[in-house]
Amino acid sequence: MEETQAATSRGSESLPHDLVIVGAGPAALSAAIYTCREDIDTLLFEKGAIGGLAAVTDWVDNYPGFEKGISGLELSEQMRKQAERFGAHIELGEVQKIEDQGKLKKLATTEGDIFAKAALIATGSEYKQIGVPGEKEYYARGVHYCATCDGAFYRDKKLVVVGGGNSAVQEGVFLTKFASHIDMLVRSKLRASDVLIKELEKHKDKITVHLGVTTDEIAGDPPAGGGKVTKVIGTDTTSGKKVEFPTDGVFVFVGLKPNSDMVKGTVIELDERGFIKTNEHLMTKMPGVFVAGDVRSGATLQIASASGEGATAALMIREYLEMQERGPLPQAVVGHKYAWHFSLAKRSGKSVITPAIPALAHLPAFFTSLSGYG
Amino acid sequence: MPKNITIYTTNTCSYCPMVKQYLRSKGLPYEEINLEKHPEMQAEVFEKSGALTVPVTIVTKQDDTQDVVIGYNLSRLAPAVA
Repeated sequence: MEETQAATSRGSESLPHDLVIVGAGPAALSAAIYTCREDIDTLLFEKGAIGGLAAVTDWVDNYPGFEKGISGLELSEQMRKQAERFGAHIELGEVQKIEDQGKLKKLATTEGDIFAKAALIATGSEYKQIGVPGEKEYYARGVHYCATCDGAFYRDKKLVVVGGGNSAVQEGVFLTKFASHIDMLVRSKLRASDVLIKELEKHKDKITVHLGVTTDEIAGDPPAGGGKVTKVIGTDTTSGKKVEFPTDGVFVFVGLKPNSDMVKGTVIELDERGFIKTNEHLMTKMPGVFVAGDVRSGATLQIASASGEGATAALMIREYLEMQERGPLPQAVVGHKYAWHFSLAKRSGKSVITPAIPALAHLPAFFTSLSGYG
Repeated sequence: MPKNITIYTTNTCSYCPMVKQYLRSKGLPYEEINLEKHPEMQAEVFEKSGALTVPVTIVTKQDDTQDVVIGYNLSRLAPAVA
């Protein structure tokens, strides 16, 4: 009896989910809102924080719909609640591997194997390490990657922020709530948006920006004895001279590293930086496996664009699932302006009269190209 | 069921509400200590966890042994409170 129940439980080989979304950040939650509203059985699998990096962003000022901005955590909570309102189910655990079994995808997870007709990888990215001596040794004891988490430990203390992009500037400004002074070390030049650079200028009494300074080493008391960071050693790239910055802590924001380990060793292709390649329909080389958000090669690493990609991926997945159910459309319908109605009618089981209008040449041959990898 | 669970948090910590939400979903009571309101406890938490970060969750088992979970780390938190 137990075996029978197990064999027919949702997510098993005999009763697969329509869709498993790996991740629960903005791309994943946005996709889930769309798929759940389409009655596509959707399970999200998240190993860390719901909301991803957005959830640990202090303040989001460039997501449409919030005139005065919104905290990253609050935005993530709203997205989660919205997805759950339509029936999205979020499970906690890690997907370690994905395997193509033809019409089904098998996902090996820390909670056991689960099966789905399609998968969406929306695992996002995490902050990169600099890779200098002292960084690992003083991790969480003076070296940090989350200002909202750990900034409060540095009230009235000196800090170094490494990086010159949007995250570095935004989080550096946030840290002025606590720190007495911040040295911002920027390897080349500031790459943040104009709005953020203006914001940075408002805090010049507390933040000193050092352009053209590399970060070479993080040093301090012996880490084995519970010692803390005391200074950052860098190089002034103009003079070639070593420079030192006494500090109580270091916050690192030097770009993002994609969470794409789960596809390594499969047919799914990565670009030279480890981001996952897709075709124009956001599908990977493994049919039925789609990608959206910060983990996708070519992504613009914005919350708004991740949400947009999630919605796009959901529509592509709906097409894919429909195509799997009904098989390819008749050639007379492919690319036709009524192809969409034909597809929906087939899905709902209604009888269809195919319009006898010739296919319009200017419309993209969406359905035929869906299976092709760009 | 653990004898006692204490979570150390700060006002702006994003992962802290997630740990609390997880414990609530399991029906587990916990005590929260905000380290910004109680800065005198920071050194004690650092000594126990070896890390200057939050959330830190200290799970005291029935036999009075303790598990210290740093961050929102479900692969460690779930077995610690099981």
